[in-house]
Amino acid sequence: MSAVLTDEGSYAELTDELLGKVLSPPRWIRPALLGTFLGTIVLLVAITYTVLTGVGVWGNNIPVVWAFGLTNFVWWIGIGHAGTFISAFLLLLEQKWRTSINRFAEGMTLFAVIQAGLFPLLHLGRPWFFYWLAPYPSTMKVWPQFRSALTWDVVAVSTYFTVSLLFWYLGLVPDLAAMRDRASERWRRRIYAVFALGWYGSTRNWNRWRIAYGLLGGLATPLVVSVHSIVSSDFAIGNLPGWHSPLFPPYFVAGAIYSGFAMVLTLMIPARRLYRLQGVITTQHLDSMAKMLLVTGWIVTYSYVIELWTAWYSGDKYEMYTYLVMRPFGPYAWCWWTVIVCNCVSPQLLWSRRIRRSPVALWLLSLVIQLGMWMERFVLIVTSQSRDFLPSSWRLYRPTLVDGALLFGTVSFFLFLFLLFLRFVPFIPISELKALKHELAEEERDA
Amino acid sequence: MPDPVVIELESVEAVVGAAAHLRATGYSVLEAYTPFPIPALDDAIGTRRSKLPWLVLAAGVSGASLAYVVLWWTSAVDYRLDVGGRPYNSLPADVPIVFETTVLFAAGTAFLAALILSGLPRLHHPVFELEGFERTTIDRFWITIGPPSGRGALLEEELVVLREELAPFGPVVVRDGRRAS
Repeated sequence: MSAVLTDEGSYAELTDELLGKVLSPPRWIRPALLGTFLGTIVLLVAITYTVLTGVGVWGNNIPVVWAFGLTNFVWWIGIGHAGTFISAFLLLLEQKWRTSINRFAEGMTLFAVIQAGLFPLLHLGRPWFFYWLAPYPSTMKVWPQFRSALTWDVVAVSTYFTVSLLFWYLGLVPDLAAMRDRASERWRRRIYAVFALGWYGSTRNWNRWRIAYGLLGGLATPLVVSVHSIVSSDFAIGNLPGWHSPLFPPYFVAGAIYSGFAMVLTLMIPARRLYRLQGVITTQHLDSMAKMLLVTGWIVTYSYVIELWTAWYSGDKYEMYTYLVMRPFGPYAWCWWTVIVCNCVSPQLLWSRRIRRSPVALWLLSLVIQLGMWMERFVLIVTSQSRDFLPSSWRLYRPTLVDGALLFGTVSFFLFLFLLFLRFVPFIPISELKALKHELAEEERDA
Repeated sequence: MPDPVVIELESVEAVVGAAAHLRATGYSVLEAYTPFPIPALDDAIGTRRSKLPWLVLAAGVSGASLAYVVLWWTSAVDYRLDVGGRPYNSLPADVPIVFETTVLFAAGTAFLAALILSGLPRLHHPVFELEGFERTTIDRFWITIGPPSGRGALLEEELVVLREELAPFGPVVVRDGRRAS
């Protein structure tokens, strides 16, 4: 058998093994759900406090009007990108190692985008007026300002979420049907039957399914590139030193995929071990993802170098100050150096095959990279605002407890949603894996 | 039960081979049911080409047009908004929203069309009444066939002949769907 699928059993054994993960859940999942649920309560409390009191409870000030909120937004959206990259981009490239991890990654995307969406909504100050962002004929007679990158964001992020959800669900339908046919209790069969939409696996079912799945893959692929490009326009269209750069779209996209692959590893490595999935998520998968980290890590590093060089080459004193003085040596220098160590230096370990294939080392490294990518956004957002053109308006930013609670809370909520997903949904694509098994067997026979 | 004869097979090769064989010998092969997509079956069964891609294209074009009309009408016609002295109808600024709406409409249509064109969602299907059909989502491959044209049902002798004909395709169960259900 091939290196991407070492499971040797029959179709029935493979199906039962994968369905069994959901039908008879492991014992640790209850306490894990409870723990993350408690963290989610922290999020609810922080949100309630923010909404009732006002955004003033965050550390934001003038001129640092965007701080943790935007940092968290960009970080979470970025994490989502790897999921779409795996499920859509690698589908079009017919990468076999995509199959067993795509649903996992796609679920991660959905839950990450939910977290991301919370922050701009709360930052509105009066989130109950969020619908002002949509073009509807109102008594005020005005429309949203569509030449602002912020309105683009609304459309991009909501489209991204919707398309990811449809793509994920369409892939899930045949496996929900398998759940329906294998579950032993009647009530459970009923519930899965409703979500399986009456799937009966006819040739026509599969033909339409395959076409739509391919098309959704094709449609989601440009979203990987466009959504973070649009997010980067929030900055690039502004004229603050350190923001006003045409480099941002590709640099943001690479960073997004970088942090997203790190998050996939952070979630996948423990799940692989706890659910004993070594047969379907093999060392080959870890190795491939580690290589993706190395590649995107280098694109990010290259972008940092180009940024510094462009700042110097522009001859603009504000740009030069921001990039060459403020960031590496200013009051937030420790953050900047954390970014360099986490994002540029640490991934170089991945040149070693042993580290690429070691789950523990990769898991630790994935955490380091996520810290680095969060810091990167923080440095980008806070340093530019806190020291812009006029020294008289300079001011530093310090996060408050509420800022911290929101970040912690979204991490908990994200993990909570993810655990629910592991608990109730076949999280390894069963029908796709069987198709892959057949394909591999055919290849082996022809060889 | 609409399909008189039900054939249960155990492998991809068997179902593709059997479907092609049955079609060549003049049976109307009504449908095959499999646990995962088998592109080769489309030809063997004679599944018609789907119009799904065209629907998706139409939806994408409508999405793009709608988004552009909304952007143009709101910011250049209904309430002219001067943003930094740029033209009221500034195309470059429209690109992101037009693009995203195109994708949104096309993806939504792809999803809905895939379901509707294959008759989903549905609460029930007659094939679910077949004994053992639940293994279709696990590891069994089914073919349902009708009698040669102009006849109501297959005779018992014909089932025997069918069993013999299909024997080369590995373990196979051939039965009368109406009696089995």
